Amino acid sequence: MAIQVPIKVFRYRPGTAPHFERYQVTVPDDATVIDVIEGVWAEHDRNFMFRHACHHASCGTCAVRLNGYERLPCIVPVTEALAGRQELVVEPLRNFPLVGDLVVDVAGFFQKQAASGLVITRAAEATLSGQPFAHSELFSQAGALEERAYNRFENCIECGICISACPTMAATDKFWGPAALAGIRRATLTTGDCQEKAALLALADSEQGVWRCHSAFECTESCPQDVDPGGAIMSLRREIVGRKVKHLFGAG
Amino acid sequence: MQAEKSTRPRQVWQWADVRRRKLGMWAYTLNRVSGLGLVLYLFIHLAVLRLLAGGPAAWDNFLALVRSPLFLVLDVVLLAGLLIHGLNGIRLTITGLGIGVPAHKTWFLALMAAALILSAAGAIAIFTM
Repeated sequence: MAIQVPIKVFRYRPGTAPHFERYQVTVPDDATVIDVIEGVWAEHDRNFMFRHACHHASCGTCAVRLNGYERLPCIVPVTEALAGRQELVVEPLRNFPLVGDLVVDVAGFFQKQAASGLVITRAAEATLSGQPFAHSELFSQAGALEERAYNRFENCIECGICISACPTMAATDKFWGPAALAGIRRATLTTGDCQEKAALLALADSEQGVWRCHSAFECTESCPQDVDPGGAIMSLRREIVGRKVKHLFGAG
Repeated sequence: MQAEKSTRPRQVWQWADVRRRKLGMWAYTLNRVSGLGLVLYLFIHLAVLRLLAGGPAAWDNFLALVRSPLFLVLDVVLLAGLLIHGLNGIRLTITGLGIGVPAHKTWFLALMAAALILSAAGAIAIFTM
């Protein structure tokens, strides 16, 4: 069955004032919010700017603020998003430079992601050396995903939702941010090279590193892949402090 | 790596924007509000101490004022602010060292319950002593 969905979307072009515009979009009742956003483009305005790709929460491209909270619209059913509301409200992610409408500039975000030296891989993909994980490395005999300390970060889809949700990022974009620090945490767990690990911890311990986090844990709360960047930041702090204490007593 | 240059004003007001946010953000904002309140109190306190330079009469007049019910309520507010900020700070120190991080919300609720109870006890003491 088709339904009419009222939607209020953020509109912006450089040199113009940001504002909201309202539309009505017709979608099937089992549609997701990304279908409605696409409908704005298809039915109303071919100049409407938004990003999308996989439509199944694998690429992180379409992340926006939906009804005031960071979400991946490709996995949010319209009926759920509209529950108890008169209309959908869709805005771009916060704490990124705006490009236009729902599109933000993620270049700086990806530069920080690369700082850990990691190629981000997910549990089902490849190792850092490019070799596929052996089945036994990934799964237990019962078929469950093996619990490794860095499994959780492997599920990061680099959507930028944690950056938008982080109140520290609202104050400064120099902060490494939750995703990059979670990546650094994972890199410290996977490397067997003591010097590399020390360099990664020094990066995390830098002025814009883990100590800029003020423990709101909004990154962990909003992450659509349960990566827990907040937990990773706290783990980095524990390791950094532990090393400093050992060093203080001449053991490090 | 050089972090990217900001191309728009930072929206620091987000620090206080708890709409649709989770408990961790409420704790974050509460700590900032209570911290700013305590800093404000510190400056007021220092300014008030200047009255001592005016001799016993000036100080006694001030003491009579602060024994009024309005100022006693402000004493309770100050006590609550100290407890909220201090106990929340203990939570941040503990979780900031990677201890009990998954339970940070439970830490917050338990410590704020303690702050409430101790503030109530303090209020009784302030108004009855």
